[in-house]
Formats: sequence, C-alpha cells, structure tokens
Amino acid sequence: MSPAIGYAAIAAVALVSVLIGVYGLRISRTTSDFYVASRTVRPWWNASAIGGEYLSAASFLGIAGLILLTGAGGMWFPIGYTAGYLMLLLFVAAPLRRSGAYTIPDFTEARLESVAVRRVTSVLVVVIGWLYIVPQLQGAALTVRITTGLPSWVGSVAVAALVAVVVASGGMRSITFVQAFQFWLKLVAIAVPVIALLLVTGAVEPALPPAEAFPASDGPGALDIYRTVSLMVALLLGTLGLPHVLVRFYTNPDGPAARRTTVIVLVLLSVFYAFPTLFGLLGRAFAPDLATPGDADALVLVLPDRLLPGVWGDLLTALVIGGAFAAFLSTSSGLVVSVAGVISQDLLGGSVRGFRIAAFASTAVPLVVAFATEPAGLAGSVGLVFAFTASTLCPVLILGIWWRGLTARGAIAGMATGATLSGAAILGGALLTAAAPAIRPLIEQPAAWTVPIAVLVTVLVSRADRRRMPRGTDAFLARLHLPERDRG
Amino acid sequence: MRRPGTDTGPTDIHSVYVRSLIRSQLRLALICAGGFVLATLVFVVAVVAAPGLDGAFIAGVPVSWLLLGFGVYPLAISIAALYVRAASRNEARYRSLAEDE
Repeated sequence: MSPAIGYAAIAAVALVSVLIGVYGLRISRTTSDFYVASRTVRPWWNASAIGGEYLSAASFLGIAGLILLTGAGGMWFPIGYTAGYLMLLLFVAAPLRRSGAYTIPDFTEARLESVAVRRVTSVLVVVIGWLYIVPQLQGAALTVRITTGLPSWVGSVAVAALVAVVVASGGMRSITFVQAFQFWLKLVAIAVPVIALLLVTGAVEPALPPAEAFPASDGPGALDIYRTVSLMVALLLGTLGLPHVLVRFYTNPDGPAARRTTVIVLVLLSVFYAFPTLFGLLGRAFAPDLATPGDADALVLVLPDRLLPGVWGDLLTALVIGGAFAAFLSTSSGLVVSVAGVISQDLLGGSVRGFRIAAFASTAVPLVVAFATEPAGLAGSVGLVFAFTASTLCPVLILGIWWRGLTARGAIAGMATGATLSGAAILGGALLTAAAPAIRPLIEQPAAWTVPIAVLVTVLVSRADRRRMPRGTDAFLARLHLPERDRG
Repeated sequence: MRRPGTDTGPTDIHSVYVRSLIRSQLRLALICAGGFVLATLVFVVAVVAAPGLDGAFIAGVPVSWLLLGFGVYPLAISIAALYVRAASRNEARYRSLAEDE
C-alpha cells in the first residue's frame, strides 16, 4: 500500500480532532465545565461519547488480530468488553450518578469520610490510566510503521502530543463532542470495509478451505475453562472501575438517565463488535499468513488492500487507518482527562492552569513506558489492565454502594491487597512462570483469584473495624439509591 | 446507629423504606447478573455440545463460531432492558410508600 494514504488519513483525523477540540474551548469556561461538561449531556450523546472513549486500540485492531491468531477464544474479549457495561448498569450506574461526586477519589472520600482512602484511590486511578494509555501508544506505533514506513516512535509521539494539546486546551466539554464524533467515525471506519470485503469475497478464492481455516481445535469447544472464566471476571468487573468511563456518568442529568445511557452503550458496542469479529473471521480464511504474534494486530489495516487492490482498496485502507487513529486518540484523551483531573485536584489545587500542566504530565509518563517496554498483543495487554482494575477499584465501588459495613481501613486494605497481587502477576509474570510453569494460567489470567481475595480482605478488615463505620453511612446510601425527586 | 424496630418514630419508618429499597435493588441486580452468567453458560454449552455445528457452514464459517461470535450480545441487551424497567418499578414502589406516609 502507498504511504501517501497513511499520511493523508492520519492527518485528516488529527486535524478534525483538533478543530473540534478548539471549537469546544469557546464553550468551556469555568472549572466545572472542564471537569464534567456541566452535566448537560443527553443520553445518546453521552452513550456515543462513552463508546468513543471506550473503543480502544484493543477493540479496533486487537480483537480481529486475536481471532486470527487464536480462533474462537478471541471472541470472548468483545463479549466481555460489552457485558462489562451490563455489570456497570446493574451495580454502579445510577447510584454513582446520584452520589454527586466528580471522580472516583471524590466518591470514595465522600462515602468513607477519609482523606487516606482518597489518596489511595487517586494513586490507583493514575496508575490504571497510565497502564491503559501504553497499549494505545503502542497501537499507534504499529499503525504508523505498517502504513507509512516511518519508525514506530513517530506514531507514539504524534498521538501523545495531539492528546496533550487537545485535552489541555478544551477540557471535557470539547472532549464529549470529540468522543461522540470518534465513536461514529470508528463504527463507519470498520463497518464499511467489512461490508465491502464481504461483497468482493465471492470473487476471491480463500487461501484456505473452510475446514482448515476454522478447525475444531481453535473452535468454541476448545476453550480453556480456567482462562476463559478468569478473563470474564476481569473484563466484566474491570469495566466498573475504569476511571475514564466512570467520569462520564457524572455528566448524566440524573440516575434514570445514567441507566438509559448505559443501555444505549450496550447496544452501540454490540453493533460495533460485530465488525472486528467479522474481520477476524475473514482474516482466517483470506490471510492466514498474518497469524503470527507480531503481525496479527495489523490484520485490519492490511486486509482491504489484499482483497481489493487498486483505488477502492486504497480508499478502504485510508478509512481503517483513520478509524484506528481515532481509537488511539479518543481512548488516550479520555484517560488523560481523568488522570489529569485527579492529579490537578489532589496535587495542584484544582485550577484550570493546574489541569493543563497535569494533562501534559499524564501523557509524558506513558510515552516513556511505551518506549521502555516491548509491545505485547494489544487485546492481551488491555485485558491485564482490566484484571488490575477489577482487583482494586471494583470491590471498593461495589461494596461502597451496596454494603453499609464498609470502612476506610477495609477499603484501603482491600485495594492494597488487590494491587499487590495483580500487580505482581502482571509485572513479575515472566519470572514467576519461568520458576513454576505449572501456575502459568494463574499468572497470565489472575483475576479469578485476585478479585475474590481483594473482596474478602476488604470485608474481613471492615468487620474487624466495625466501630469506625462512617457516621454518615446511612444518609449517604440513601442519597445513592433514592430516586431524585425524593431527596429534598 | 438506630436499627429498625427499636423505635417507631416517623423518621424510622422512612429509613425502613429506604433500606428495603436498597435491598430490593440489590436483589434485582444480583438476579440479573446471575441470570446473564447462567444464560451465557447454557448457551455456550449448548453450542459446544450440539452435534454437527462445527461441521455446518454458512458462507464458509462454521455455525458454532458464528453463534459464539454474535449470539451472546442479544442476551446482555435483553437483560439490561428488563433490569431498567424493574429498577424503575422498585423506585416507583418506594415513592408511593413514602408519599402515603
């Protein structure tokens, strides 16, 4: 494929994102605008924006690559990414909106009346945000390398710089517009090529006959039960604690609107994920040579040109490159908004100037990490971030919303335990599996044991600490669960 | 911390209503989450166990792959829609109790 297509598509997406960001600057004036867009966002807009924020490099490139590489087992990733919103709807959406807090640290501090809990939560939000930005930058590096031939670092730096500028100049109001736009761009950018390719595949001979492209050994029946269960625990519960997703719930006008938004998100994601799944299936039949760990994530970028050489293939390629870039930009900027929000509120006094400084700081750190680490498969590394989130923020959120007995010490003990266990599994994974190969699945998919242990520690320490239950617990829980009109 | 039953003042009746709302919302959420897990489990076991789905092809793709790839999403959406209606009903019931007072 010609590099000119890559340059043109990337430049167009970057330009449009910056233009919308600058336009948003005119509207967002006060600090409150910056953080939560003044809570005037309608459910459809908000749901599109959540979808735009959520669909990352892992969704746009990683899922198709994983289905190509591992088969039907890869389909559990989009199922988990979507069903996570069902759990969010059931346990978190309306109460979190009614809490009236801006960020997760605000919520835990208000619920547990403890500044120490706030500090711990803030640190976790920043760590999760950074961990999650890294694969986005690595996805950008891959896309730039494959489509333009430029060195990988150019992609990471370009995305980091754009995100820092857009976030620092516009704040969240503009980001809501940008994110909503990005969702529909991403949907079109993956749906149109898939539909076009499905139309032409009748005329192209598959590289493999169906029985070899889709062997039963890679099929739905070949699943590893422990790994699949553990992955689902991570994805279903990890979504509850994603800071860039939760911050969107404060922009709903009330609890019922938060529920409506979440249902719309479920529908939007279900529609979207049909297309990367189809891309993966097409890849198995038409591009089995890409099924190697380094290349599989590039399937979505490469396939249109292979099946449809010529100008139509070029146009479709430009479209998927644009969509991929939209994915890196939108997820990263959503994360930077929430990380910068936490850093500026807790360290820099919550001013607009502090927010801008924090925005630059929160893009620089993941950029350094992205350079320092070897990129793994995109869907897999995002899966580990979900496992970390599910083991740390999720137990505190769910217990804080539904259990009166939670105390500040219990919450801190649980978050520390979850962070230590899942952090050790993620960072020390290579060493641990080399020392004891038998526990490899437990280390590579840790959520099935780290989440229950974190919950157990939280509950036990809270019970032991019963006398320090916050005085305002009952009033706060009533506020979370009572319908708006009756709160006086 | 006052508990229901130790006092019969109006504020306590109110806090009983609030607690019963929270309990019914929690029960509903747990039933829906359990229902989703169970439905997915049954669906996947059925796809894997049904004879011939790996060998039957639609447009060159085995039916078992297509079912796993696209079949779970409608389950999640249906349960979400049912939940929203039931959760609003719980809130309406609380409201009518609180207004009767």
